[in-house]
Amino acid sequence: MILRPAPDAKPVGRVVATELKPATPYQFHFWTATDTSIGIGAIVRVEEVGIGTGERVVYGVVTDAFAYSDLATPLHDVVGAEGNPARAAEAPTMRQEIRLWTAAVLRQIPEEPLQPVPLGRVYVASDADVAQALRMDAYLTGATPTAIPVGLYSAGGLEAPVYLDAEFLLGSEAAHLNISGVSGLATKTSAVEFLLGAIFQHYPGHKGRIAAVCFNVKGPDLCFLDQPGTLLDEDRARYARLQVTPRPFAPVRYFAPFKSDGVNLNTLRTHPDLVEAVEPLVWGLPEVLDFAEVLLNRDDIDAKADAFIDFLSDRVLNREFEDGFGGTHRVRTFADLERLFRAIFDGLEASGRGDMWRTHHIATIRKVRNRLGNVSTRCKGLVTDDGPSNDLPWGRFEDRAMYVVDLANVDPLGQDLVFARIVSKLREHLEKRALGVDAVVVFVDELNKYAPADGPDTYVKKMLLDISERGRYLGLVLFGAEQFRSQVHRRVVGNAGTQMFGRMDADELATPGYQVLSPATKIKLATLPVGELMVRHPHFTQPIFVRFPRPAVLRGRDGVERFPPAADLPFEEAVVRQLVRLDPRVRPNVAKDLIADRDEDDVRRALGATRRERPKDVLAFFRKVLGRSIAAETPQVRAVVPPLNPIADEPY
Amino acid sequence: MPVFWREALIAAGAVPAAFVPEASLGRNDLTTVTGADLVEGARLRAIPVGPAATPPGPAAFLDGIQYWAVTAYDGVTPIVRAYVAAAVRRRGPDRRLLTVADATREFGVTSRPALSPAVRETLARAEVDVIDVPATEAGQPGRLLSAVQVQVDRARERIERELAEPYVAAMGEGEWLVVDGLLSDCAALARHPRALGVVKSHGAQYFEGDDLVTALTLSQGHRTSVFRPRGHEHQPVYSWYLRLWPWEGNDLHYGLVRIEARAEPETVERASTLSAWLIGERAPLSTPDARWDRLLYPIYEVEAYLKSRAPRDLLPAAGTRLPRTGT
Repeated sequence: MILRPAPDAKPVGRVVATELKPATPYQFHFWTATDTSIGIGAIVRVEEVGIGTGERVVYGVVTDAFAYSDLATPLHDVVGAEGNPARAAEAPTMRQEIRLWTAAVLRQIPEEPLQPVPLGRVYVASDADVAQALRMDAYLTGATPTAIPVGLYSAGGLEAPVYLDAEFLLGSEAAHLNISGVSGLATKTSAVEFLLGAIFQHYPGHKGRIAAVCFNVKGPDLCFLDQPGTLLDEDRARYARLQVTPRPFAPVRYFAPFKSDGVNLNTLRTHPDLVEAVEPLVWGLPEVLDFAEVLLNRDDIDAKADAFIDFLSDRVLNREFEDGFGGTHRVRTFADLERLFRAIFDGLEASGRGDMWRTHHIATIRKVRNRLGNVSTRCKGLVTDDGPSNDLPWGRFEDRAMYVVDLANVDPLGQDLVFARIVSKLREHLEKRALGVDAVVVFVDELNKYAPADGPDTYVKKMLLDISERGRYLGLVLFGAEQFRSQVHRRVVGNAGTQMFGRMDADELATPGYQVLSPATKIKLATLPVGELMVRHPHFTQPIFVRFPRPAVLRGRDGVERFPPAADLPFEEAVVRQLVRLDPRVRPNVAKDLIADRDEDDVRRALGATRRERPKDVLAFFRKVLGRSIAAETPQVRAVVPPLNPIADEPY
Repeated sequence: MPVFWREALIAAGAVPAAFVPEASLGRNDLTTVTGADLVEGARLRAIPVGPAATPPGPAAFLDGIQYWAVTAYDGVTPIVRAYVAAAVRRRGPDRRLLTVADATREFGVTSRPALSPAVRETLARAEVDVIDVPATEAGQPGRLLSAVQVQVDRARERIERELAEPYVAAMGEGEWLVVDGLLSDCAALARHPRALGVVKSHGAQYFEGDDLVTALTLSQGHRTSVFRPRGHEHQPVYSWYLRLWPWEGNDLHYGLVRIEARAEPETVERASTLSAWLIGERAPLSTPDARWDRLLYPIYEVEAYLKSRAPRDLLPAAGTRLPRTGT
């Protein structure tokens, strides 16, 4: 909603130019009264009333400010006050002083010929001026507007909406958003939440369907996106001004791995009223093996390990496979894989055929076994040794839906794995145009951790680079956040078409990446209040400060207070509760009787199968799966393998 | 006033010139002995005025400027372009000055009878006021320029009077007007109970002998007894000297001002109070003006205001008059 400027606006300043401080096509200086609403970041309009070439209007943003008086030297002030600072303030006349502002040109109309800024009158920008100055007129109007409100530019009592161009925020002209700022000010996450809300409400229909996948990597930040938060009147006014309806996200689907017990969800959203929307994220061996590279640290990366993992994927997984020692395996789970490894080691030792198995050295095999075993140990709730998977709804993503993957309490290795796999699957489905939506925003916090400027080239970092550089063609858009922009890989931040800055640390502002900012702008950045951001966008020739309303969703901390997480349930209780959630007709006592004295792994497996199938008669299906899978097996007695080089006659 | 009249004169045969005399910025000091009559005590004394005091009420400040330059010669007759301006700036509760009245005038000065017919005719056609100096002053340019100086002085004094008279007539209760220079030039000012003149130049001599020593060697924060200057009979005023800054180590006139006020007994009664106020006006310093030791800051600010609005081409050149080489 762009308001027209008042016709009787009065100038607030005047452009001045001297030989030392001339006006140029890109910068100018102007003075104002001492008492003025102008400040750093203010947008102004300069008017030259037709001299020869006609009217020229220049829009600028204030980047620096100076104040000085006619005092020739500080010593004169001392002399005038006779050395008494108290008397200096008692002088009957105030010295002449000036407020001199430096502004960077945002736009000139006409744009050609490009000329120095005229020495004209300076006005505070109106709504329409802001739209013109930021070149928003190009995408605010027309047959296919693509404007996404990002916040309100505020100066001198004016609050003008600022819009981003969806073509440059979400592709295909440019894409990606990077937001940086110090932690703990509730700005980065809040800004992304508000912006995602605005995107869902304003994403133009002609651009297709859109969804968002958010990785919750710390605390309860994103755990209550479907719950309404508390808004102040000023927030509501800002929402109205931005024409965004303040409402929580809907639909929102949460995914979280289990805790190590395999039945209690590893998330802070376990309050009985909310836990229903949380689905378990459980992966088996095939899902993990596809991204085994993620599990290998830098020292592990070698062609041999890669080759063996490929061998497992191509020749072993889900196939009838003979181990060469007389055994046949069909590997579907980690447990199956472990049996194969044991058979190989035992076979090699028993046969005395040396250290090689099918061209793979036993050390390589042991290394891969160790790493894969690590996953099932360290990510016990995420990776199931022996059971079905439960995953995001690939191919069935809904328009304007939010998918939250809660990894806050997951081991870093597991976080990497989840992140790598989900983003790769998104990419894979978007390439095939088979995701269910045309574009997906992926929100990743803590880029300092996942895409550091230095450190090893991890799989996750490579993947983030890939999204940054090629994602926009696919509709895969990265919204990344971090505390220190200077310590994120420069191609990740450099490819972000839109960049936002919350309050910054002074040390961070001293890094070379911020050299383009004036000292005053840096000071403003270092003291930005909550809810205010500096935005850079391809259409804006200079950074712009905007305020955004607090998101209309429940903040993580408030959510945890209002919906305290439920205590972990005993195994039986947890299973019964999940069955009841799947089918309210399930009678808890019956279910308890069913699982009494049964092996927990069997129960988990049956529960997972039931969850995946979602049958009409949950209890009957559960009973069937449980009954079918628990057939007692006589454990195979492992053949004792004699040592290769027995030491005879050695008493110790 | 059109700025192109100079070009018209040159087209009519006058020779262009660009001479800004050194004395064009202000009045020349007079070096006359006029004498004075004491009205406070039997002999001239140095009286301490006490610590700096706050202003007795709202105050406004009046000052004027004058610029003139020889812009052309017709034969040896200079044709002068002159500019005078004056302003009253009132000090508000925020301690800042705001212009409440100002006036400007631009005019030519020459001896028209001495001009050639073509130049004279062109000057007549130009929409410019011209003040003639007496024909007796024509001849050697120096003499005529001295006469020009007098005419410009008068024009400035006139414009200052034109501002001062209506202003003091409308001045509010308890409000003061401080004028840069003599009060005695203007009857309305000289008679007003709350008008003060602050004179910075001391060409006129009012005392001799010990009294002169007393007057010119005042210590800082002291004033002389109030006296009535002679030679101001047309507008009688009372006056006293006041030392704003210690002169030792500088010059006798350093920090020395002469105050003029209405010739009434109450002036004598409040001479010390008013002096204490003016001592309070020393801060802020009116630097970088060279006369900062005697120039009150508000007066300096009025002057700065007027200068900022004066035609730039009449300001004295900052550098040498040697031709610019472009290097």
